[in-house]
Amino acid sequence: MTLNLRQKQTECIIRMLNLNQPVNSTGTANEEVYKILIYDKFCQNILSPLIHVKDLRKHGVTLYFLIDKDRKPVHDVPAVYFVQPCQPNIHRIITDASRGLYDSLHLNFSSSIPRPLLEDLASGTLGSDSINRIAKVHDQYLEFVTLEDSLFSLAQKSTYVQLNDPSAGDKEIEEIVEKIVSGLFCVLATLAVVPVIRCPRGGPAEMVASALDQKLRDHLLAKNNLFSEGGNFMSSFQRPILCLFDRNFELAVGIQHDFRYCPLVHDVLGLKLNRLAVQGEKGGMRSYELDSSDPFWLTNGSLAFPEVAEAIETQLNKYKKDVDEVNRRTGGADGQPEFEGTDLIGNTKHLMNAVNSLPELTERKQVIDKHTNIATVLLGEIKERSLDSYANKENDMMIKGGIDRSELMSVLKGKGSKMDKLRFAIIYLISSETINPQEAELVESALKESEVDTCAFQYVKKIKSLNVQLASANSASRSNIVDWAEKLYGQSLSAVTAGVKNLLSGGRQLALTRTVEALMEGKPNPEIDNYLVLDPRAPKSSSGAGGLKGPFKEAIVFMVGGGNYVEYGGLQELAQRQQPVKHIVYGTTEILTGPEFVDQLTLLGQKMGLGVSSANPPAPAQ
Amino acid sequence: MARIRDRNEDFKDAVRHAAVSAGYDESKLASIMASFIIHKPKQSSPFTRAALKTLENIGALEQFMMKHRKDYMDMHRTTEQERDSIEQEVAEFVKACKEQIDILKTSINNEDTNAKGWLGIRADGNNVDTIAHKHGVVLILSEKLHAVTSEFDKLRAIRFQDAINKRIPRRKQKRVTNSSSTGASNVLDQPELKESDETQLERPRLQHQVELTNLLDSVQQTETKMVEMSALNHLMSTHVLQQAQQIEHLYDQAVEATKNVELGNKELSQAIQRNSSSRTFLVLFLFVLTFSILFLDWYS
Repeated sequence: MTLNLRQKQTECIIRMLNLNQPVNSTGTANEEVYKILIYDKFCQNILSPLIHVKDLRKHGVTLYFLIDKDRKPVHDVPAVYFVQPCQPNIHRIITDASRGLYDSLHLNFSSSIPRPLLEDLASGTLGSDSINRIAKVHDQYLEFVTLEDSLFSLAQKSTYVQLNDPSAGDKEIEEIVEKIVSGLFCVLATLAVVPVIRCPRGGPAEMVASALDQKLRDHLLAKNNLFSEGGNFMSSFQRPILCLFDRNFELAVGIQHDFRYCPLVHDVLGLKLNRLAVQGEKGGMRSYELDSSDPFWLTNGSLAFPEVAEAIETQLNKYKKDVDEVNRRTGGADGQPEFEGTDLIGNTKHLMNAVNSLPELTERKQVIDKHTNIATVLLGEIKERSLDSYANKENDMMIKGGIDRSELMSVLKGKGSKMDKLRFAIIYLISSETINPQEAELVESALKESEVDTCAFQYVKKIKSLNVQLASANSASRSNIVDWAEKLYGQSLSAVTAGVKNLLSGGRQLALTRTVEALMEGKPNPEIDNYLVLDPRAPKSSSGAGGLKGPFKEAIVFMVGGGNYVEYGGLQELAQRQQPVKHIVYGTTEILTGPEFVDQLTLLGQKMGLGVSSANPPAPAQ
Repeated sequence: MARIRDRNEDFKDAVRHAAVSAGYDESKLASIMASFIIHKPKQSSPFTRAALKTLENIGALEQFMMKHRKDYMDMHRTTEQERDSIEQEVAEFVKACKEQIDILKTSINNEDTNAKGWLGIRADGNNVDTIAHKHGVVLILSEKLHAVTSEFDKLRAIRFQDAINKRIPRRKQKRVTNSSSTGASNVLDQPELKESDETQLERPRLQHQVELTNLLDSVQQTETKMVEMSALNHLMSTHVLQQAQQIEHLYDQAVEATKNVELGNKELSQAIQRNSSSRTFLVLFLFVLTFSILFLDWYS
């Protein structure tokens, strides 16, 4: 059973569009074949990466509207509503029903609608005597955005700020945890699995894990639960593992500059919901879509940028060759066709082949043009901000654990936007083992010279001085050599070759990837031994059974507080590397670019009162 | 596939609860509960009924094609004539469906122009959204028809490929035999030139032979040209059916219209505001001017 989240979500949405009836293949025209789709803003974000407008028509949807728009009556069509269960939406639905806009309303809520709202709906429609218009009410459990086959996001903004806010009360934290848990529950319901949960102790991850565990237990006790019934004899081999992490586990990844194609496009150009808007060559803004239907993006998304440029070149040359051949065969361009004399039949055949292959060729050309445009814009930005040197130097810093002072100063005074310099300074903070106060002062003054807002910097300094687990990321990465030596003595040859390959490749392995690998293998490992194990299916009082720690074939990794494409890429690489190939689904509360995450850190710094340069007494940590 | 939670039962409970608390009596409560189970028969407009009928027809066309597909494809089961008759039937069917779609399209346009009436006020049933919906229905129908016909065209293309392939080796064979026969007749010529009687007979025979071979060649050329033309025809017919694109254009415009109505309302209200504000400004200005002229007059 492979966890293809995107496919499952698309299936659920298609089923919803078919009014939640089994799709009958005999093709008899049932009465309700043409419908109107109504959604709200959040659900629009859910639908847009999954379905195009043309596909909507295939399922009989003629029109689609936002729920807030002023809509006119359309008679004898059913309307499918796909909205979040909240008060304004319910009011709007009641208004629509009483105005008699559509013949029948099929209501689908993206997560479970709470009882009070349902009663509101009932009393409202009863009052306006339009009960007979509401045909069905369903809970779809689809409150998450799937961007790629194994990447999802809950689209909940600013969770990192809210969870780490020093002034946040218990109730607010609980609310946020509740929201995250309901989102995760929707994901698990769509995948129809009950995983084994593991998370590090302490911090938001543990809170989310225990709340989720409780919710799953309660739900499994109910009569018609959403998960398949035959779960009692499923061994741990077939259940996936759900690993929950907190952003503080590895702060550097959210801030660092990365030089691969996919993270670059996301960071520099702002990729949202697989859509991108760039300045076209002729001066207008062009909007592109980058998802799994784009073959170039699929194969080259994780390459470093220079290699991507080469790949575009080769594709372009191949395309030109193919076009020349087509022209030659049909006597298009030069007029001296290469067929024997009067062989008209051959000519026709070539002509037919050419006409058939034209659409494919135009599509290829479009893809190549799109990526050429994107790469050109990216190149301009990289040159202007010298992003390649930032990425290299930051990578060196994280591996070596420090940087030469003069180099540091030169970078801070050199090229790059203010945000770049701030990120570089924060990475410097995170990478050095202990903070030398003098150097920190120098860095701060350099930043102030370039008019950079230092709140985020001060916040990270404060966090580091309180000795939160940031250090684990750093020391662990340098102890790769020690791990390698251990493996050499203790374990099989494959582990050794993997470790050697890792060192030789020069790429720094993320702490997250390492931890997930260890968790999936399930062998005793000092790093993860003190992680919590929670199994919603096991009865409450039993101790963690041995079978639960066995090697897992599939994993769902969730990062509370914000993730990005770098982590996703790292996890996919890990999955491909394993023998046999495993599946890892990566999810987060929201996908943040580097600047967005630093903005959240700045906000936190301001809340802590660190923006002012005078020294404040440290506020009690979260 | 993941199961969804059906909340209809909960909704019914909530309705009953609300009805009781709102003080409905027993009969009303019963009728409301009954309406959940028994749905009123829906009355569909003539447009919807026609659209559903067209959909049924396209479905029937698809089934017909499926049934005869094997017969059509297999080389030995059917003769050329039967294949032609199948093609003809399918073409007629497609034409009938296309006509129905055209009727639906013109009916939308007619309703639109008729209902504009005087003062340009539309009746309730013909607002922007409904028209966009109808365009959408027509577009869906034509896309379905297009899909079915392209399936059929693929089958036809395979058939033509086979026909073309059959022609080429046959022609090459014929050409080879022709050249060998003319070569043989040339060789035969020389020893027989000596005897004049026999040459008398020979010459018309040779002439006939040459004539016949020329005729054969030209006939075969015509044959190949015909096959070629039908192949090109099949190419063109696929592209002609792409009038679906035009319908799509219409549909997009209709959807745009729904959005533009809102924008238009906003612009109108802004214009009204500006109008009133500019009017007051103008009045004030003239007022001040008049008084200043009077003042200057009085002053001097």
